Amino acid sequence: MKSDFKRIIEKWIPQNTKVLDLGCGDGDLLEHLKNSKNVNGFGIEIDISKANECLRRNIPVMQCDIDEGIREFNDLDFDVTIMANSIQCLKNPNIALQNILNISSKCIVTLPNFAHWSCRLDLFLGKMPVTKNLPVPWYETKNIHLCTIKDFEELCKELDLFVIEKLYLNNSFKESPLTKLLPNLFAAEGVYLIERK
Amino acid sequence: MIVETKKILIDSKLEFASGEALESFELMTDFYGELNEKKDNAVLVCHAFSGSHHAAGKRDSNIGWWDEFIGPDKTIDTNRFFVISVNNLGSCFGSSGPLSKDKNGERFNNNFPQLEVIDWVESQKMLADKLGIKKWHLVIGGSLGGMQSLQWAVSYPKMVKKVGILASAAKTSSQNIALNEVEREVIRKDSDFHGGKYLEFNKSPVKGLKAARMLGHITYLSAKNMDQRFGRKLQNTNSKIAEDIDFEIENYLQYKGGKFAESFDANSYILLTKVMDKFDIAHGYDNSLEVALENIDAEVLVVSFTSDWMFPSSNGKEICLASIKANKKCSYIELEGEHGHDSFLYPNEDYQNAIKNFIESK
Repeated sequence: MKSDFKRIIEKWIPQNTKVLDLGCGDGDLLEHLKNSKNVNGFGIEIDISKANECLRRNIPVMQCDIDEGIREFNDLDFDVTIMANSIQCLKNPNIALQNILNISSKCIVTLPNFAHWSCRLDLFLGKMPVTKNLPVPWYETKNIHLCTIKDFEELCKELDLFVIEKLYLNNSFKESPLTKLLPNLFAAEGVYLIERK
Repeated sequence: MIVETKKILIDSKLEFASGEALESFELMTDFYGELNEKKDNAVLVCHAFSGSHHAAGKRDSNIGWWDEFIGPDKTIDTNRFFVISVNNLGSCFGSSGPLSKDKNGERFNNNFPQLEVIDWVESQKMLADKLGIKKWHLVIGGSLGGMQSLQWAVSYPKMVKKVGILASAAKTSSQNIALNEVEREVIRKDSDFHGGKYLEFNKSPVKGLKAARMLGHITYLSAKNMDQRFGRKLQNTNSKIAEDIDFEIENYLQYKGGKFAESFDANSYILLTKVMDKFDIAHGYDNSLEVALENIDAEVLVVSFTSDWMFPSSNGKEICLASIKANKKCSYIELEGEHGHDSFLYPNEDYQNAIKNFIESK
């Protein structure tokens, strides 16, 4: 994970909290948060070699898919749940989002913006977008519920979720005047800290 | 690798959960590698129901049950770790059990005290004390050995740094108990059983023991694995064990069951299946798994196999979820495993990496 990205997430995580990382990959982010914020982290990861990497780093991990993990964790209690770049892979992102906020008071969601100008251009040319943060071709991608920044924010309203903070980032994981001006066109990535109203 | 096998006498009283006791007892024990000066590199490997202390290396043409996992540069690297493998009390490979004699010089036969998993832990705690081991780096085991590992972590939290629970469960299911009872029944109904006193008649209920093992063996395999291995293949006429055998799977079970019956003791079989039936880690903790696991200090690794129908993966997941609820550091790895329940015995890269990474992580 890009270090800029880690720094952004880190800012939103209080010290000594219990953090669940859905789709934690090799445990890189949780290890970082353990060192910088002394969090009690726990990851969910479906890929066995990545889960094994978590074990090597001594990051507790449950090897299962995120949908299943959220279901199994229904009576657990975390301070913050992180869902970095995985909401678009879930079967029912809307239900998952509500369930996540049943098991943790806050949730960090990051998502690739499908309305980024590069995606729009690909579609205009009649092709499924293959971009810097959506690098996998349509026939191999795990992304089944891609959305735009506008879509996601509308969903939050519909579900009565409160966006505490949000950042619109360009391809270099930075905010720019353009991403601030027209996020749905210029932001490649939306990053949100949300909670229940 | 330094390998030693010793029969160790523990000359102190061991009181069992049942209230019965042994004034002293012996533990047949294998040692692999060397205990370091700080005595903090000891690993306790717990065998499954019919296993023995012989976990690694070749002895009289028999290869240890976890040979691919224990040794120099292997999953449990004996260049770093000192591995101890104990034949459980009540078993029949050298530790005190139905075959040994009581203080009056009489063979126990069917009168060996009915043990529980916690009694094994107590016996091994006494062994650890004798060896000067104050804390295991790791206690690990599969199946009944996994239950034992879990019991260790709950009973002696300060003595277990890491615990590995493989193809196991926090308690036996009704189906587990039911199958065990069928196995016991065929042993008891063998005309050579003599109420468990068969040795006094110079007999052994080998027919019953063989049939029991044949049933048990089926529960250790997966349907898919059996289909792949044997399918509906017919047994070659020249190598048939019995006349009326048609299929390879029949021949295989007959052969395996027969071999097992030659080397295992029927009273041990009954005793050890009862140990398994009795196991429920939540017993004594308000029947709450979460409450039981609150005692644990160790880091926990649970591995389950989706092809295992004896202790299905839901059993492993249950341990992991309850551990997390109890605020413990627990990981859960779920593999398909080609061999059903027995998968925990077989080498597999992902499986071995999980164990190795877990053991060696700081």
